Amino acid sequence: MAMRQTPLTCSGHTRPVVDLAFSGITPYGYFLISACKDGKPMLRQGDTGDWIGTFLGHKGAVWGATLNKDATKAATAAADFTAKVWDAVSGDELMTLAHKHIVKTVDFTQDSNYLLTGGQDKLLRIYDLNKPEADPKEISGHTSGIKKALWCSEDKQILSADDKTVRLWDHATMTEVKSLNFNMSVSSMEYIPEGEILVITYGRSIAFHSAVSLDPIKSFEAPATINSASLHPEKEFLVAGGEDFKLYKYDYNSGEELESYKGHFGPIHCVRFSPDGELYASGSEDGTLRLWQTVVGKTYGLWKCVLPEDSGELAKPKISFPETAEEELEEIASENSDSIYSSTPEVKA
Amino acid sequence: MIWHHPASVFSSGKWGLCRILSCKELTVELQRQEEPHKKKDNPNHPSRIMQTPLTTTVPVLRLPRGPDGLSRGFAPDGRRAPLKPVVPEIPESQESRESQEQRARATLRERYLRSLLAMVGRQVSFTLHEGVHVTAHFGATDLDVANFYVSQLQTPIGVQAEALLRCSDIISYTFKP
Repeated sequence: MAMRQTPLTCSGHTRPVVDLAFSGITPYGYFLISACKDGKPMLRQGDTGDWIGTFLGHKGAVWGATLNKDATKAATAAADFTAKVWDAVSGDELMTLAHKHIVKTVDFTQDSNYLLTGGQDKLLRIYDLNKPEADPKEISGHTSGIKKALWCSEDKQILSADDKTVRLWDHATMTEVKSLNFNMSVSSMEYIPEGEILVITYGRSIAFHSAVSLDPIKSFEAPATINSASLHPEKEFLVAGGEDFKLYKYDYNSGEELESYKGHFGPIHCVRFSPDGELYASGSEDGTLRLWQTVVGKTYGLWKCVLPEDSGELAKPKISFPETAEEELEEIASENSDSIYSSTPEVKA
Repeated sequence: MIWHHPASVFSSGKWGLCRILSCKELTVELQRQEEPHKKKDNPNHPSRIMQTPLTTTVPVLRLPRGPDGLSRGFAPDGRRAPLKPVVPEIPESQESRESQEQRARATLRERYLRSLLAMVGRQVSFTLHEGVHVTAHFGATDLDVANFYVSQLQTPIGVQAEALLRCSDIISYTFKP
């Protein structure tokens, strides 16, 4: 029996969500950070969307946010002309890195020793996080504000996107290796290390390029202007969202549109697959984040597969605390449960 | 124009579906459920609307928790809180030792389950009895962790596309995350 997708809405932000990023898989699961124009980026548990904490300190809209691989550090880029580095376990601010204009993008190296930033001042900056007082190394060359900057090729190279170009730089020599020109504004960029694939969105196009040579691999056209797209870790699917408020899921190999979902009440600004590929998160102008299942109907996180024969009786109310993990998981997996729904779901406006 | 969530409605019924639906979703859901029943020959059926729909939405355990509105979060007693060094208290009450042990067990259990999740899709090397080593792609485990479902199992007598490894046969296993 076909099941319909139930997105999980994560509320809490009061303004548009403009960026989101997942951490790697850690012993505590994986985590999600969201950047919002309300200036208060939030950390959430990646598989459930549960809020963990809010990073307080920025004095302007936060345009970019990222987590390091083991989710111990977070970095944010804001309109208050600073990028900040945070302790993602305690929520404390570790460093404030002053810039000369709005900062739009931040990215950690794999070893979390360096932070790459980029923004409206058109400069790429590399900060050594072990020497925060030292001046950053700067790379110039962009002729318009930098929208996204990413480490690639095991941190030996840097990819950066401004309004109409995507450029590849060598980290050691700090020089440009190659560039791509577009006649439409580049809206987003994602880098997939396994396979060295670069996902670029512009206009209604979702394009895939080699991250090493920038040569095009393939591209798809969506029904509406796309603001962000993400490729599944196994490279079977891609998801994209944009100005028509809908999320589209495509088969990466054939380009066939597999699913599309309405649900957001505003344009979608960012969409990303989780590191295990089981779900994808979308952030929208409507101020919410939504989590969507890759395989609809699978038991994962808060989604629970119920077989058609199970008839309905409201289950006993389920109160769950993070510490009772074993109990919670037994509840989820018990075979003869009729239906397991909390009769008092928490609704946060 | 930015919408905020319209008024939410609790939906429940004989089939036990119990999730918050927005007005818009409820209308759509009811309309959709009406269609198969229009053809049914029992206009007097008391709970016509409440019968099992042809396609159900995926049930959820609960909604994601939102900010508590009181603090910035990062609970000091949360999962990832830095472990405080254990200071033996004098007198040490029985209860606190038990609850500490309970907490430690829960944390270890959770870490183990998460390690299983991290293993999905990866190449794992198993050491079995009698010095046998096999490698396979890990798929899943069952509820009691009694069996591992694996694929592409490389055995001394060939490659098995799909297999179930009995956990009682496994001495140890290792993988690179």
